[in-house]
Amino acid sequence: MAQTQLAILLTSAALIIIGLYSAIFIDNIIKKIIGISFIEEGANLFIVAIGYKAGGVVPILMPGMDTSWFAANAAYPLPFGLVLTSIVIGASTLAVMLALVMVLYRRYGTLSTKVMLADTSKQEEYNE
Amino acid sequence: MIEFVLCIIVILSAILALIQKDLLKAAILTGFSGGALAVLFQILLAPDVALTQAIVGAAIVPVFIALAVKKTQRSDS
Amino acid sequence: MNELIPLMVIVPLMAALLISAFSKLNKVTKIFAFVVAICLPLIPLLSNYGLHYFGGYEPMLDNVTGIMYHPAITYSFTFLQQIIICAVGLLTFLVIFIYLTKYKKVSGPYLFLLFLGTAAVTAMILTDDIFHMFVFFEILALAQVGIVAASSIDFSYEMALKYMILGSIGSPIMLLGIGFLLALTGSVNVTDIALAVHTGLIDATSPVFLLSLALIFFGWLYASGLPPFHTIKSGIYSKAEPHGAALLQSFTVVSMISIVIIMFRIYSSLPIFEVLVVFFSILAMILGVSLALTQTDFRRMIGFLAVGELGFIGLGIGLGTNFSITAGLFQALNEIIITALLFIGFGAVVHATNEVDTRKLGGILAYHPKVSIMLLIGGLAMAGVPPLSGFQSKLMLVQASLSCGFPEISILAIMVSIATFVVFVKTYYTMFLKPKPNDLDLEGKEVPKSMVFAMGVLLIIIILLGIFPDVVTSGISNFVGGIL
Repeated sequence: MAQTQLAILLTSAALIIIGLYSAIFIDNIIKKIIGISFIEEGANLFIVAIGYKAGGVVPILMPGMDTSWFAANAAYPLPFGLVLTSIVIGASTLAVMLALVMVLYRRYGTLSTKVMLADTSKQEEYNE
Repeated sequence: MIEFVLCIIVILSAILALIQKDLLKAAILTGFSGGALAVLFQILLAPDVALTQAIVGAAIVPVFIALAVKKTQRSDS
Repeated sequence: MNELIPLMVIVPLMAALLISAFSKLNKVTKIFAFVVAICLPLIPLLSNYGLHYFGGYEPMLDNVTGIMYHPAITYSFTFLQQIIICAVGLLTFLVIFIYLTKYKKVSGPYLFLLFLGTAAVTAMILTDDIFHMFVFFEILALAQVGIVAASSIDFSYEMALKYMILGSIGSPIMLLGIGFLLALTGSVNVTDIALAVHTGLIDATSPVFLLSLALIFFGWLYASGLPPFHTIKSGIYSKAEPHGAALLQSFTVVSMISIVIIMFRIYSSLPIFEVLVVFFSILAMILGVSLALTQTDFRRMIGFLAVGELGFIGLGIGLGTNFSITAGLFQALNEIIITALLFIGFGAVVHATNEVDTRKLGGILAYHPKVSIMLLIGGLAMAGVPPLSGFQSKLMLVQASLSCGFPEISILAIMVSIATFVVFVKTYYTMFLKPKPNDLDLEGKEVPKSMVFAMGVLLIIIILLGIFPDVVTSGISNFVGGIL
């Protein structure tokens, strides 16, 4: 089923492009952060797709399985282990970013990036 | 067949989340995308990743975003 | 004593967790942080060189193809790792010492972030596993953001959020590059990947391989603050507390060299890799110095100068010969120490005057002579004046680029050094020598003794490295011979 793998790769590419677009062009900071989480999900999906083997089995060796048959048919488990770590990292990064946004909202009263993250040197001149 | 449907759900809910005016709806749609991705991981023979993604992507991330929206403002303007 | 190798990461990591858990007990926390900080530079000095396999999984020999595979996460500890970890550990000790003496009530989370960052860079330079490096790269980014956000300077949260957004775009892209390498070779161990590339198992000109280079290179640019990220990098230096900035720049330098060494081992057969590294390094040198010239905030000026100095490291590594890489790594060690001295010294000035604008300062030399003279020597070392350590490494770089057949690059390096000198002396004159403005009050404000002590220690290292560079360069040269 090469079609499955192709569809998965296209999906991950689409997620990364959607995420990059929103991270660069959308003004609302929370939507920007949602877009960034899509980039991470796209990268994770791509790495899982590397380990996939069409028509294979889950890489867990059950009692009674033939070892050589298992080695020939199981999916490659190393990318799955990496993605586990990556998912948790993504969630914690997202939490830190949202916490910073909540602090900054109290100061500016808006979620617009243009106001919140304007060039800091200009902000200093404005305050003076 | 189901994997194509799931791929379409993932991409559609991602795009819909980014064009919502209501940020709470955007948070819920992010959860949809994460949950569909978890099922996709299960189809790709990675049940352990699917479990983690189901918890993180479909529950924790939308809840974080919804909490942030509740503490700030709900409409995107 | 190979058992000490994982302890270099575990000790600061455990200390970070324990401190944040028991931060209510102020006195205990202070003593504990101090003891752990003393241990940090000592552990690498006591440890033997060697490899450490996590979980005890030794390399396996494939009987069919005759290739060794490394199933475990491997830490390799050689002279370069020893000297860099020792320098970062010493700097962490000095920074924590300054922090503990400056505040009566210490903040547990801040100490947590300092130790976490140290643990992350130590793991990055030790590891031989590209995904392991990525994980600690992310942890390092979080720790850097925390250190910036924890400072009490205006607009530090904005800068932290900006850095974080750029970082969370950069790191999935780097992860994608690692994914491409994994798809090509089926391994994340750098030794295995490099072997597969050099024995021709994977096609070095295939588009997937080139794409993985581009993606990891983007992550490297972000981690090291080379253009186009130079503005944000100098921004986070200027928004952190001065002692925090001293540590942040050492994190930047170490993460830069650890990623570039890994990239060099994998991609050195591609000519475009070296061209890219040299191009971005020269861009960083020129942009860093020319932007530093226009700054009025002296913390920002030092930030841009630090970015410019990073270009010299990249230049040495991009030229790709044994001598030039040795020079680049020696320059990295010098920069960790010199820039830390400058940040701590200018932090002392901020402490004494509460002013960061060079136009409103003047005449500090008469009030704080010790700090002023140590800062002057530090600045001269950065600009490359003999017999200080910066001179030795820059001389080596100029010689290396001449012997590679690029006299243009050596002329450019000398010109950037001179420009650095001009920028520093101009700022030094306006801050320390010019007559004191009338509205500036300098009476009765003392510089903390701990800062003077830290600057003294760093200054001794600068002078010693300047007089006896062979102590370090011969060892680094052996290491470079191993990876070429």
